Amino acid sequence: MKMKLFQLKIIIMVFAALAAWTLPVYAAKVRIVTTLTDLADFAREIGKDHVDVHSLATGIEDTHGVPMKPSFVPILNRADLVILVGFDCEHAFLPALLEASKNPGIQVGHPGYVDCAKNIVPLDVPSTTDHSGGDVHPYGNPHYMLDPVLAKTAVGEICDALVAFDPKDQAEFVHNRDEYLARLDTKIAEWKEKMKPLKGLQFVSYHEHWPYFADRFGLRYVGTIELKPGIDPTPRHIEELILMMKADHVPVVVREPQFPEKVPKLIAEKTGATVITLPIMPGGASKTDTYVEMMDYIINAFQSGAKTR
Amino acid sequence: MKTFLPIWLCLVIAVATASAYAQKNEPPLDSLKRQIQILQQQMKELKDKTSAASMNANSPQEAVSTETVQKSIKKLEEEIQELSDKVSSVSEAQKQSRPNAFNPSIGVVGEVVTSYRTKGMAETGSDRPGGIDVNARSVELNVAASIDPFAKGYAVINAAADPVTGEASMGIEEAALQTTTLPWNLELKAGRFFGEFGRLGYIHDHELPFVNRPLVLDQYIGGESRSDGFQVNWLVPLPHYVSLTAGAGDGFGGDIPPSNPGDIRSFDKLTYWGRLSTYFDLSPDWQAELGASGLLNPATEDRGGVLVQPDGSTLTEKARRWAGADFSLKWVPLRNNQFQSLTWGSEVLYSDNDYRDSVSDALNPADATVGALGLYSYLTYKFSREWSAGFLFEWAENNQNAQDRTTKLSPYITWALSHWNQLRLQYTHTESNHVLGLASDDAVYMQWSWIIGSHSHGWQQR
Repeated sequence: MKMKLFQLKIIIMVFAALAAWTLPVYAAKVRIVTTLTDLADFAREIGKDHVDVHSLATGIEDTHGVPMKPSFVPILNRADLVILVGFDCEHAFLPALLEASKNPGIQVGHPGYVDCAKNIVPLDVPSTTDHSGGDVHPYGNPHYMLDPVLAKTAVGEICDALVAFDPKDQAEFVHNRDEYLARLDTKIAEWKEKMKPLKGLQFVSYHEHWPYFADRFGLRYVGTIELKPGIDPTPRHIEELILMMKADHVPVVVREPQFPEKVPKLIAEKTGATVITLPIMPGGASKTDTYVEMMDYIINAFQSGAKTR
Repeated sequence: MKTFLPIWLCLVIAVATASAYAQKNEPPLDSLKRQIQILQQQMKELKDKTSAASMNANSPQEAVSTETVQKSIKKLEEEIQELSDKVSSVSEAQKQSRPNAFNPSIGVVGEVVTSYRTKGMAETGSDRPGGIDVNARSVELNVAASIDPFAKGYAVINAAADPVTGEASMGIEEAALQTTTLPWNLELKAGRFFGEFGRLGYIHDHELPFVNRPLVLDQYIGGESRSDGFQVNWLVPLPHYVSLTAGAGDGFGGDIPPSNPGDIRSFDKLTYWGRLSTYFDLSPDWQAELGASGLLNPATEDRGGVLVQPDGSTLTEKARRWAGADFSLKWVPLRNNQFQSLTWGSEVLYSDNDYRDSVSDALNPADATVGALGLYSYLTYKFSREWSAGFLFEWAENNQNAQDRTTKLSPYITWALSHWNQLRLQYTHTESNHVLGLASDDAVYMQWSWIIGSHSHGWQQR
């Protein structure tokens, strides 16, 4: 009898340990998974203590190349909301992860699937989705988050999704959103002021990350080192890019840290341009933990890059 | 009124800027949408400015003017909103009237393997000739779409050249539905599909990291792990990734239908399989995945037909029991994984099949159980976006005669011009211990595979 009681105690303890292991994930907070770190920053700013936010990217990855880790699957399985950039930015990892997550609430078309691009009008929508254009994004360029004015739209989408999921905290979410947008507006004015002297500055980059940024700050984005999106440059393409940059006196080469240093450096040496290495999401460079810090970094880097000339 | 001159100017500039966007080569609707968005943004800025001006008005006249401007802005805002709604409805209508709106996504995968082998078919037991051989190994048509809100469907139709006649024959490689909304972390697959057994058993040939399917999978499973049946996958509800799969089907891998299906078939004629897999983040850049698989077919009588041995004897499979373990270790640097990565993958399979042996005594065939072991291990290093190289080691006992052993060594190099166009050069040295009279040989392969149309980055290809 004593032995049976002991066995029962052991079984109860094992179940209690299992429950304790799994319980924290069932806490009362809204469980949010974002694909990229900028969205995670926004979700934290709006949700504050009401949300538990996990970003699949740490910030140093390429926006299209976040590794599909099975450890993401249980996190997505328990998520209330999955927040993404959209325009197929995450096509290389998110659809498969969502399918593996077996969480019906966050699948495409469900309220837990928050596509921040749904009210953005894209740039560079291809007239054809033939792969002769490389790894084209059929809905247009997905890198609108580098335009802080368009990023405000993402802030709005996240707030709307939070309100829809957790209406009882609506007032707080809306207040947090407005407060954050006001801070962002102040920073946008500051960034615009800082970038004024660089109006018309021409630059090239490794990948097509910068059309929205260039439009916003009045820069001229004149080419990419990649032959086509996702396709490495050929020697002829590099040669043509160098000739164009020399002819047009393009002074800046932007290198995103996910891409090799060698070719941007070579192009800069041949053309006399300055290479600036810029993050494409928060965490992509030191002291860029938030969206505002990242944009500060980018604006300052452009200023220094232009001064070096 | 002077105060409001800059505001009116801004209004004019706003309209002009918006029009300038229209001059870009955007589709007309997108261009319109963009213009509207710009106008809305600029209108908001103007509104803020006029509000500020109204608060700072120094005289009643200025206040009245402010009010007039605000009214004009409000009217313009309403007009813009109306226009925006119209554009949206046209855009929606266009989408709805597309005749191909309900078509599934379609992709075609093609593969040509050119090889030179030092020994002929008779000496190697291969279904491909020795010397030079150009083999359009397969052309696959992939279609996939949601069936309804509860399931998706997909089909892979394969055309392959017959090794003897060269004629292409079409076949349904996979055609299955997969649920998407089952509760309790469950997913059900039904139809013809590749059953989840082992590590590379359910990967299509063109997605393998080397040219040929490892010998142990080719010989024990008979190719890809195809089955007609059902499979349930359960994501165990833990914070740690654990996946459990169980399936049952009629036939598995290279099985052919039974020549004598019988009047009434019992459940022991089906194949049952299962797989347990888990995963560990060793560091942000290092990943480890472990799996264990098992398969049972209690009565395989007639399945696979008569197995003719190289020495002329014949076997008939009676029962099939397999167990497998697999392991992969990957280095996937977060920052530049498109340019660098390392994968070490290994799999061991144990086959414990029962056979009826007609050789010892054709009139009184004896039953025998053959325990055989086989494994493969490969290491692939990606050193640029386009290039990777690796080495594959294989060793397998023949699962019909465990005394017959084969070792294969294959260095390979892959040039992926893009996701959709890939060339691979591989050398393979095959060493046989000649028990069944097969000869050792050397071969060089050049594989060229391509994809057109839709392609997806599936969970299994991670």
